[in-house]
Amino acid sequence: MAMRSQIYEWANFGTSVRRSAGALAQTVTANQALDIFIGSVGNNITKPAETTATQFVVIEDISASPHNGGSAQVRINTTDYFQNPDVTVMSGIPGRASPYPVGAPSTAGGSDNVLSSFNLYPDVYVLPGQTWSVLYTPTEDVLGSSSATTTGVACFVKYTLYDGPDALIANKLLELGVTVNPNNVDWYKRTLIEQASAPAMAGGVA
Amino acid sequence: MAMRSQVYAWNNSRASHGGTATVVTAGRSYSIFIGSIGNNITKPAETTATQFVVIEDIGCDPTGYDASAAADGGVAGETGQRAYVQVVINTTSYFLDPDNVGNDGVPGTAAPYPRTIAFQPSFNLYPDVYVLPGQTWDVQYTAYEPNPTTADGASEAFVKYTLYDGPDALIANKLLEMGISVNPGNVDWYKRTLISGASAPAPQA
Repeated sequence: MAMRSQIYEWANFGTSVRRSAGALAQTVTANQALDIFIGSVGNNITKPAETTATQFVVIEDISASPHNGGSAQVRINTTDYFQNPDVTVMSGIPGRASPYPVGAPSTAGGSDNVLSSFNLYPDVYVLPGQTWSVLYTPTEDVLGSSSATTTGVACFVKYTLYDGPDALIANKLLELGVTVNPNNVDWYKRTLIEQASAPAMAGGVA
Repeated sequence: MAMRSQVYAWNNSRASHGGTATVVTAGRSYSIFIGSIGNNITKPAETTATQFVVIEDIGCDPTGYDASAAADGGVAGETGQRAYVQVVINTTSYFLDPDNVGNDGVPGTAAPYPRTIAFQPSFNLYPDVYVLPGQTWDVQYTAYEPNPTTADGASEAFVKYTLYDGPDALIANKLLEMGISVNPGNVDWYKRTLISGASAPAPQA
């Protein structure tokens, strides 16, 4: 399957690779960026997220729990995507702007419903051979299960993985300055097919 | 009928076709079709040689991450069952972690079923998932903090798909070859193209 919609959900439960039943909430320290893939808190994966030479990733949405001042940042290789107007580092999209889930309360234990103010457009491209990560940073400590008040937080990323020939087409679209999305990849394929099936030029026949 | 919008809703508290009304085991994946829990069907979902299925949406019961005491058999800091739904085509899991290992699938928190004010979707299944003629497909449900009683908030999953049958399945295959998205609009467009091509005057000899 050459174009696949993919998701990754992180929550501060457990400290193991993948999820496990009965995993307890872990503490997340305030103002420290935590890699949701390999940060050793919550469910993780075995190695940093990276694209191979035949993969192309388009990140289409990121969101985080709105309580505890949580934010989510995208990092490509060593470069943070979101930055302040003075080009200094920031912690990324606030969960209050891009809540996960949509409709979650803005404060821990609250009863309001936060809706999305943010849409990740244009999308973020991860080119072949690049390493990428999503960093979660709360402005208040998120207290784990050993504390009086246990708080759960989560982070979510939605992306499309282009693999094999579709990754080559994605690269080509990028060169052409055309947005990489499934529709445009299909459009490029159709163009190739039409060119291949067009009659040969009369002058070209020997 | 050649193109039909279809849905399948699964609930662990409803029993049918060999499925029993019982609680799922934590961390274990269950087929919502033939998993022996809740409402089931008589055999695995599969397409015949003249069928083409496009899965357009999936969802399951959501989980809230918040400040909370342990409840519903779960742990403190979450309310819900930490449930996920994965699409499996033949033996291949559709959703992968970024390290290319199959994961649990889409969280109910991102694709909630049912949707409420507090739980609205963050996820849209696009591009759609195609089940080609002759393939077997499944939707697997996994919960990490299942409720101890079925009455206390059931495990639920939902899948919305379009079934193309007969000539429309052939057209769907043709669209796939051409790199065109398979949806009812494009199938109709292809039919119109065929009709206008057939009714055009024959070229002069």
